Amino acid sequence: MRPVFVLVRKDLTNFLRNKAAVSLTFAIPFAMIYLFGQIFGINQKDSGPSGIPIAVVNASTNIAAAKLVDALKSENSLRIITETGPKEKRRPLTESDLRPMMQAAGADFRFAIVIPEDVISDTRLGLHLKFLSNPRNEIETQTVNGLLQKTIFSNVPELLGASLQARAKNFLGDASLNTFNRGIANAIAGAFGGNIDEILARIENGNFGFDQLTKAATTPGSNTGTAGADQKSAMADVFSRIVRIDTEQVVGAKVKSPMATALVGGWAIQFLLFALSASATSLFRERDAGIFQRLLAAPVTRAQILWSKFVYGVLLGLVQLLVLFFAAGLLFGIEILPHLPLLALTCVFAAAACTSFGMLLAAVSSSPEAASGLATFTIMLMSAIGGAWFPISFMPQFIQQFSKLTLVYWSMEGFSAVLWANQGFVQLLPILSILGGIAVVVMSLAVWRFNRGKIFG
Amino acid sequence: MLQLHSVTKRYGDLVALNDVSLELARGEFFGLLGPNGAGKSTTMSLIAGLRAADSGTLTLDGQPLTAANSASRLSLGLVPQHIALYPELNAVENLRIFGELYGLRGPDLRARIDAALEAVQLADRRKDPVKNFSGGMQRRLNLVAALLHRPKLLLCDEPTVGVDPQSRNAIFEYLEQLNREGLTIIYSTHYMEEATRLCSRIGIIDHGKLHALGTLDELLLTLPFEEEVRFHATPATGLLASQLGAYGELTTVDGTHRFRPRADFKFSKLYALAESLELPARLFASQRPTLEAVFLHLTGRSLRE
Repeated sequence: MRPVFVLVRKDLTNFLRNKAAVSLTFAIPFAMIYLFGQIFGINQKDSGPSGIPIAVVNASTNIAAAKLVDALKSENSLRIITETGPKEKRRPLTESDLRPMMQAAGADFRFAIVIPEDVISDTRLGLHLKFLSNPRNEIETQTVNGLLQKTIFSNVPELLGASLQARAKNFLGDASLNTFNRGIANAIAGAFGGNIDEILARIENGNFGFDQLTKAATTPGSNTGTAGADQKSAMADVFSRIVRIDTEQVVGAKVKSPMATALVGGWAIQFLLFALSASATSLFRERDAGIFQRLLAAPVTRAQILWSKFVYGVLLGLVQLLVLFFAAGLLFGIEILPHLPLLALTCVFAAAACTSFGMLLAAVSSSPEAASGLATFTIMLMSAIGGAWFPISFMPQFIQQFSKLTLVYWSMEGFSAVLWANQGFVQLLPILSILGGIAVVVMSLAVWRFNRGKIFG
Repeated sequence: MLQLHSVTKRYGDLVALNDVSLELARGEFFGLLGPNGAGKSTTMSLIAGLRAADSGTLTLDGQPLTAANSASRLSLGLVPQHIALYPELNAVENLRIFGELYGLRGPDLRARIDAALEAVQLADRRKDPVKNFSGGMQRRLNLVAALLHRPKLLLCDEPTVGVDPQSRNAIFEYLEQLNREGLTIIYSTHYMEEATRLCSRIGIIDHGKLHALGTLDELLLTLPFEEEVRFHATPATGLLASQLGAYGELTTVDGTHRFRPRADFKFSKLYALAESLELPARLFASQRPTLEAVFLHLTGRSLRE
């Protein structure tokens, strides 16, 4: 048994001396657990998505419509955008603003609610709303649908009252409706007490106390068992019949394989990051083999060595991404060929950003093991907060601020702009510029660090 | 041809080269002899332009040797200490890469590659991946990779580390042939046998200081003795060793006493002392001093320390 103990002790000593191995085993999982906890809000009271941006256009003058907007604003999971334009020239959003804004690369919002002028019509009973969406992410879309249904339907009763008033006004005329409303108010005050004028004002605003019905149906303990569930279901059914929501998919409506198209970019960029980080660590092998000595003794400069690695990384990345996309095309029916030129261009920029990231990792690490450990950590972190695993709107606001600093986020935006939103070169240009900017800045940092580090001996 | 004038190089607090001056004539086979960490590789890297000296000047044919001077690098060939080859590529592919980096192309490059592989007896393995070569074969390829562009000055930084005797001999013969053809060579080693066999002139370096410079005979003449007597360090010989200290230098290296008597010492005295201590004469081996003795004399330590 003694040799076993001796060999175990040897392995332990080796392990503890290898800082990269120790950090991979302990520190990185700890950091990731903490981060995931933060992302999913495990240690917070209000977990779940926060601040999903939704544009709201309220073209109605009805007080109940304004209340609906307020209700949407008070929903923590949503961030309601009602204005547009530069800071000094802010103006309310209009319906005509929405589609171009949602179709733009890197759009600020992917969902919009329009409360039209005729949300309540005097010619029909019920409500009319419009819902515009860019359902690029299935999870996010379903979450938004659920949140909107909850918020709208809990405000439907008041809007329904207003709708009834409008319809009655059309049917009876102003004078008869006033007489009718006053008669109802008198009857209520006589039977239950209260101020006639206040009751009349509530009736005229459509507030018939229908909200008490929904409260009764949704308050825990108010109804139990099957009967309670049935009542809720019936209530939802009634409301869904009297609320007409016109839905319109603004972006990606013609995409043949929406789920796969939405997912492929995030996975592709992760594979690329791992592949290019591994390739960048070849710098260490060449250093240790003395190849850099030989190259630098020839008429070759450090910068030429580094740029050759960069160009190689971009080419490798381009080929890997295109192979991956074509494979996804074959297996999942994603349309690649119609988008090939712009897709290839986006792949070049994404590969450039990823390669420079790999080079920076190698530049700041002292050994291939350290570079590999650091790569695993940063790639997982960037993928998580960049939105490759789940929508960034599911993360706390402070983490969302960092999402746009990751190359994963912008690479996914680029792939989505081409494959999902079918955007042209001009629309794609801002994303390509950002990816190019990331590549230049990160590569410059890497070159600066290489020139001060020990990689060239 | 090559001039180093008062060259100093520091790594932090460590002085790797301390005020080293050296001049090499065309066609010389110069040996830089010293133990590990003496400053040999630093000297090589400064000449190759891989690092910049903190002070002093280095020139090749009057042109400064700096990292920025790419013209001077065309005149140099470096054989690194490590096997600086791409293991997945075959011999021809490796040589083509290094040849192209020196601006060689087409039939000329192909002819040079063929000649180089013939010269180091690797022509029949030209298409084999380098990772499948033996250590000696890799070393030979490592050497010719520095010669394709026909440099004026070849820098060999311990090129035979870990090489079997047969390959080592092949490398020596090839280098000697190149030197006969006019190539100037700087050869760093910590093997005195290599420096003795190959080099027309030798510099002894230790702790970044060039202690001596000259031909083998000139270096041996610096010793204050002409012969060295060696005998095993045992309890029985301990008393004799302590007595001999009065008549010359006595050092003990690897369990062997080395006695280097002063010029006026009579060897009959040694045998008389041994006889008085009942030590047989066969215990003692007398030999002409070697470079190692010169190194020991100059630095106070063995080449292998």
